[in-house]
Amino acid sequence: MAVEKILLHNVDKPNSHKLDTYLAGGGYEDLRKALAMGRDDLVQLVKDSGLRGRGGAGFPAGLKWSFIPKDPSLQKYLCCNADEGEPGTFKDRIIIEKDPHLLIEGMAITCHAINSDKSYIYIRGEFEYGAQILEQAIEEAYEKGYLGKNIMGTDFSLDMYVHRGYGAYICGEETALLESIEGYRGQPRKKPPFPALAGLNGKPTVINNVESLACIPGIIRKGSKWFANMGPEKSPGPKLFCVSGHIEKPGVYELPMGTTGREIIYEVCGGIKAGRKFKAVIPGGVTAPMLVEKDLDLSMDFDTMAQAGSMLGSGAVIVMDDTTCMVRTSYIINRFFSHESCGKCTPCREGTIWMTQILERMENGEGRPGDVEELERLCDNIFGRTFCPLGDGAVMALRGCLKHFREEFVYHVENGRCMVKGGF
Amino acid sequence: MVEAVDDKLILEIDGKEVRVPFGTLILDAAKEVDVTIPTFCYQARLSGIGSCRMCIVEIEGQKKLQPACITPVMDGMKIATNSETVVSARRSMLEFLLSNHAKDCPVCDKAGECELQDMVYSHGQRKSKFEEKKISLHVKDYIISPVIIKNSNRCVQCVRCVRVCREVVGRGVLGSVGRGAYQEETSFRKGELDCDSCGMCIEVCPVGCFMRLPYRYKARPWDLKSAISVCPYCATGCKTTLQERDGEVVRSIAFKGLGFNDWLMCARGRFGYDILNSDKRLTKPLRKKGDGFEEISWSEAMGMISAEFAKTSPEKRGGVATASLPNEELFFFQKLMREAMGTPNLDSTSRWSGDTAGAYMAATAINEGGRTIYKAVNSDTVFVLGTQLSEENPVIDYIVRHVTDSGRSNLVIVSPRAMKLDATAHQSLRHTPGELAKFLNALILCLYEGDAGGLASLEEVGLSSKVSIAELAKLAGVTVDELRQLSMRLKRSETISILAGTDILKLDQGARGLRLLKLALEAMGKRLRILPILDRANQRGAWGMGVHPSLGPGFSPLSDDEKGLDCYGMLEAAAAGEMDLMYVIGEDIAGMYPDRAFAEDALSKVGFLIVQETFMTDTALKADLILPGALAGEKTGTFTNQVGRVQNLAPIQSPPGGARIDLDIMGDIASTVSKGFMDDGCTDIFGCIQKVVPSYLNIDNKSTGKDCGSVISTDVSLEAFFNVAESPGAVPTEEYPLRLITGNHLFYSGNLSSYSDILGSLLKEPVAEVGPETAKALGLEDGQNINVASEGYLDSFRLKISKGTPAGVVFIAENYEDKPINRFFKRGETIPLVKITS
Ligand SMILES: Cc1cc2nc3c(=O)[nH]c(=O)nc-3n(C[C@H](O)[C@H](O)[C@H](O)COP(=O)(O)O)c2cc1C
Ligand code: SF4
Ligand code: SF4
Ligand code: SF4
Ligand code: FES
Repeated sequence: MAVEKILLHNVDKPNSHKLDTYLAGGGYEDLRKALAMGRDDLVQLVKDSGLRGRGGAGFPAGLKWSFIPKDPSLQKYLCCNADEGEPGTFKDRIIIEKDPHLLIEGMAITCHAINSDKSYIYIRGEFEYGAQILEQAIEEAYEKGYLGKNIMGTDFSLDMYVHRGYGAYICGEETALLESIEGYRGQPRKKPPFPALAGLNGKPTVINNVESLACIPGIIRKGSKWFANMGPEKSPGPKLFCVSGHIEKPGVYELPMGTTGREIIYEVCGGIKAGRKFKAVIPGGVTAPMLVEKDLDLSMDFDTMAQAGSMLGSGAVIVMDDTTCMVRTSYIINRFFSHESCGKCTPCREGTIWMTQILERMENGEGRPGDVEELERLCDNIFGRTFCPLGDGAVMALRGCLKHFREEFVYHVENGRCMVKGGF
Repeated sequence: MVEAVDDKLILEIDGKEVRVPFGTLILDAAKEVDVTIPTFCYQARLSGIGSCRMCIVEIEGQKKLQPACITPVMDGMKIATNSETVVSARRSMLEFLLSNHAKDCPVCDKAGECELQDMVYSHGQRKSKFEEKKISLHVKDYIISPVIIKNSNRCVQCVRCVRVCREVVGRGVLGSVGRGAYQEETSFRKGELDCDSCGMCIEVCPVGCFMRLPYRYKARPWDLKSAISVCPYCATGCKTTLQERDGEVVRSIAFKGLGFNDWLMCARGRFGYDILNSDKRLTKPLRKKGDGFEEISWSEAMGMISAEFAKTSPEKRGGVATASLPNEELFFFQKLMREAMGTPNLDSTSRWSGDTAGAYMAATAINEGGRTIYKAVNSDTVFVLGTQLSEENPVIDYIVRHVTDSGRSNLVIVSPRAMKLDATAHQSLRHTPGELAKFLNALILCLYEGDAGGLASLEEVGLSSKVSIAELAKLAGVTVDELRQLSMRLKRSETISILAGTDILKLDQGARGLRLLKLALEAMGKRLRILPILDRANQRGAWGMGVHPSLGPGFSPLSDDEKGLDCYGMLEAAAAGEMDLMYVIGEDIAGMYPDRAFAEDALSKVGFLIVQETFMTDTALKADLILPGALAGEKTGTFTNQVGRVQNLAPIQSPPGGARIDLDIMGDIASTVSKGFMDDGCTDIFGCIQKVVPSYLNIDNKSTGKDCGSVISTDVSLEAFFNVAESPGAVPTEEYPLRLITGNHLFYSGNLSSYSDILGSLLKEPVAEVGPETAKALGLEDGQNINVASEGYLDSFRLKISKGTPAGVVFIAENYEDKPINRFFKRGETIPLVKITS
C-alpha cells in the first residue's frame, strides 16, 4: 500500500530533526501562509478538514479551537499532549524525535489561530531523548525567528516550553496534564469548566495531541478538501498506526483513516509472526476492547470502531496470535491500570487493584469458584462511576476480553492453569 | 420541559419539585426538599473535588451517574437519589472504601463518631466480598506533630485534610504521596510538621487517620461529658465544646453549626484546654510569709482583707481585673471598686494607658453596636491594619482568606512584619513600627491628592498636610507608589472593612489617624466598617462594663472628678509610695507592663497587694495575699467578642481544691469591706447590667449553646479621647539600630496560654524573628543562637528569618516562660531599640 506520506514525510531523511533538513523540504512555509490568513478563516479551514483529535477521543480539532474566547486581553495557552502513555502507542515519539519542527510549525499555526502567545509541550518523562531533541529544535526555531517575538515580521509572537512529565499515565489526561504543568499533583480536574474556558492557570487553553498538531501544516499546504477526502467522511485524514505484538513487521505506518485491520496486519505488516494464527487485536491502545477475526474487515476509524464496541483510540494496534493467554493478558493490562490509577476516585482506586488481585490469583493457578462472576460484578460497580475515563478504560479492556474469551477464565479457575499451549 | 420562573430553575428530585437559582449544586437543591444525599469528600467550605463518588445520583437521560456535590442543576432535570441503581452504587462505593480499610474500630479513637461507621450503618451492606490481601501503608501509627498522630490505613481518601490545610488554614503543608491504592495523605516525606498545629486536619478527617495525640486512647465519645464554652485565648470568640472524662478535660472541639466559627479553631483553642487540668493551679489562699507563702483558710484571708482595708484611704486604693473575665464578674468588679471600696482607680489591662484605650474605642466606634463577622468582612476591600492577624486571631485569618479567595473582596494588609495572610493579599505594605500615624497621614493625603477643598475640611478636624506625601512615606518606611496603589484600591471600593488591631493600643499610635481615615473615606461616599481586632477574650466586654478609669458602664464618660487612675497611673502612684491597696484579678502586671523592672518595683511598694489568680504569676509572687480563682470552663457568665457578639460560658468542672469562682470571692470581699453592699437587691447580675448598660438590653443570657445576641448601639460620645497625645515612635541609634516589636504568638496569647503543656510542647524555644536583609547585614543564619540587647537588658534567642519582614525590625513573641521580654522596655517607650549579636 503506497501512500503519500505527510506526517512521516521527513523521518527517513538523514538529520531529519534539524531545521535545515526541515526547511529544505519546504518547512515553515505553511506557517508563513497561515500568518497571512485571518484567525477565523484558519479555524474554519481546520473545521472543514474534518480533523479529529489523534490523542484518543477523536474530538474535532477545529471545533475545539473555536471554543476559545476571542477577547484579546485574555491570556490563552496551547498545550501539546506529548505524554504518549497508552500502552502500545509510539507514534508521537517518531514525530518528536525525527521531525520536531513539524510539531513546532503545527503548534505555531495553532497558536496563531487561537491568538495565543504561550505554548507548552508536555512530554512523557521517559522521553529523555525526545525532550532533548525538542529543546534543540525550539532553540533553532528561536534563532531563526520561527519562535519568539514578531515571527516572520508579523505582530504574532510565540514562546514555547518543554515541560517534562514524571512518569504517570494519568498526566496524559488533559486536565491532569494541566495540573501537572501548574506544579500540582497530576490528577484530573472536574469539568466543567472545560479547558477552553478555564484551563492552564485558569485561562482558556487548547490541548491537542502531537499527531493532531502535526496534521495542521499539511492541511494548510494541501487544503481542507484534500484532508477531508482521505478516508471515511466523518473521520478523514492520514493516520499513524503503530503496530506491535505478534506481527512480522511491527512499526509506525502512515495510512489513510479507514484502512482495515486485515490490510494493516496482512498487507502492511507482513502477517502474523512465524506464520501462526491470528487470535485477537487491540485496535487503539490497551483501553480499546479487543476485536476478533470477524471484525478484521472493519474500517479503522473513530466511528466504525465505536460501533463495533471498541475504539480507535490512539491507533495503537496490538496483535495477538493463538499462543496468547487471555487471562495473563488481562492481568497485565489490569495491573497497568491499577498501577496508574491516580487514586482520586473510589471505584477506580479500590476497584482496579481488587480486579488485579483476582486476576493475579487466577493467573497463578489460585483462582476460586466465583472469581469470574466477581470480576464481572466489579466491572459493573466501576464502570460509569469513575471520575475520569481511566477507570472506565480498565473495565472496557477486561470486559472486551471476557466477552470473547470467558471460557479461558473459567478454565483457569477450574484447572489452575492455562488452556492455551505455548503461552506468550 | 418546565419553564423557569423568577430566574429560578425548576427541577424534580425524587419526585418533589424544587426551584433553585442557576448554579445550585444538586446536593444543595436536594436539601431544599429535605432529601439528604450521603457525602464524604464534600465540605461546604472546601473546593469541590467530586472524588469519593458517595453522592452519585441518577439523572434522567444521562447514562452515567453524576456526583451531586459538584454537578450544578439544570432546568427540567429529573433526579433520583434513591433508585435501585443509586442505592447499589452507594453500597458498592462503601464496599470499595472498606476493601483496603484497616477495620480496626476497637482500637481506633474515632470509633463512635466516625463518618465511615455511620455511613456503613446507614447505607452499607452487611458483608463484603473482598477476600484479597489488604494494602497496608505502614505498620504502626506515626507521629507527625506534637499534636497529630496518623494512621493512613483507615483513610477514605477524601482529601479534606489536604484541602483544609491549603484552603482554610493557608499553610499547605499536607499533600498526597503515592498513587492509586497506595495514595496517602500526609506530611512531606511523612516527617515532622512545622505548621500551625491548628488541628483543622484532624477536625475534618471523617475517620481515624488524623488523630489528636493528646487525646489518644483517652476516651470513647459516649463516655464524654460536654459543656459548651468560649475559647479564652483571643477576642475572636470561637465557640468550643469542652469534654471531660473521669474528672479530666480531654479535649476541646469545635462542632459544625455551633457558633459563627463552626468547625474552625486554631491551635490555642483546640489544644490550650489542658490548663484546666494543670497541677500548677493555685488551690489555696496564700499569705506572704518571709520569702515565701503560707496556706491560709478563706476566712483568714477575708479577715486579713478586712483588717488591711481599714488602714487604707479610698484614693490610695485601686484595682485591675483582666479582660479575660466574664462580663458579670467585670461588672461586679467595677461596682466593687467604685462603690464598695469607694475608689475610681480601676483598669482592665496593664499593657496600655486608659487614654489610649479610649482613643482606640473611639476610633473603632466600639459604642456603635455589634456586627456579625461574615457580614462585616464581606466588603469590596478588607483592610487589615495594626494587627498580626494570622497569629493573633487565626480564625479571623481563615475567614478573611475564605472571603478573599471566593473572589468577593480585595485584601490589603498594612503591618510592620510578615504574616501568613500576605500570601492571600492583593497588596501587603510594610511600614516602620511605631510610624503608623505617619503612614495613615500619608495615605489620606494620597486619597485627597488634587482635592484641595476636601483636604481643607479634613484639616479642620485635625489632619496635618504640612509634610509632603513623599516625606511621610519615607518616614513610615513605604514608597509613594505603594501608597498610591492602596489609595486607588480604596477609591475603587464602595464598601471597606478595616480590621484594626491591638498595635494601635500597644504602640499608642494610629487611633487619631484611623479616625481621620474614616472621616476621609466617608466624605468620599464609602461605606465603612471598622472592626476592633483584640487579643483578650472579653476586652470589649470589659470596656462595656465600665472597667476603665474614665468610662462607666455602657461607655458613659465620667466627669473629671469621677475619673480615676489607670493601671499605669496606679503603678506610678505605687512607685511613689502612694498606693495603699491594690486588688489585681488575673492580670500579670509584672509580666505584661512595658517595663518589668519598674512594675516589679512598684508592685513591691503597694501597701497591701491582693492578687486573685489561677497560676503563680510573677505578679502573684509580689502579693501579700493570693486568692485562688477560677478559669473559663469552671464558671458561668458571658463574653462579648471583639465584634460585639455575646456568648455564654458553661462550666465543665469546678475550680480545683479550695479555689473559688471569682464572682463569689468578689462578693465576699464586697461584704467584708462594705457591710450592706450586697443588699441592694441585685441578685441577678445580668439583670443589673441591662439596667445600666443599654447596649445589652436585647441580650438573652439564658440561651445556652446558642447565641445570646449582639450588643446594640449606645448613645455616647467618645470623641474627647482624640485630644490626647500619641506616642512619637522611636529613632534608632548607631548602637541600637533595630526596632523591637512584640506581640502574641500563634501558640501563646496572654499569660494563661503559657501554662498549657500542650501549647508549650509546640514551640520549645523562644525565637527572635528578623527579615532576610537584617540577617544578611549582620551575617546571621536561620536557626542560630543570638543575643538581643537593649540598653538595659540582654537575652538569648534562636534566630528565625522570616521572608517579608522588613529590614531594621526584630520581633519577639510575648509570654514565653523565662523570657520576660518586657524587660527590654523602658517606661514611656513603646518601641524599644535593640541590637543583635551572635
Ligand atoms: C487516562 C487518559 C490518558 C490519556 N493519555 C493521553 C496521551 O498520552 N496522549 C494524548 O495525546 N492524549 C491522551 N489522552 C487524551 C487527552 O485527555 C485529550 O483528549 C487529548 O490530549 C486531546 O487531544 P486531541 O484532541 O488532539 O486528541 C488521555 C486520556 C485519558 C483519559
Ligand atoms: S478514574 Fe479516578 S482514580 Fe482512576 S485515574 Fe481517573 S480520577 Fe484517578
Ligand atoms: S495542624 Fe493545621 S497547619 Fe498543621 S497540617 Fe493540620 S491543618 Fe495544616
Ligand atoms: S486522612 Fe482523613 S481527611 Fe485526609 S484523605 Fe484520609 S480520610 Fe480524608
Ligand atoms: S461527596 Fe460527592 S463525590 Fe464525594
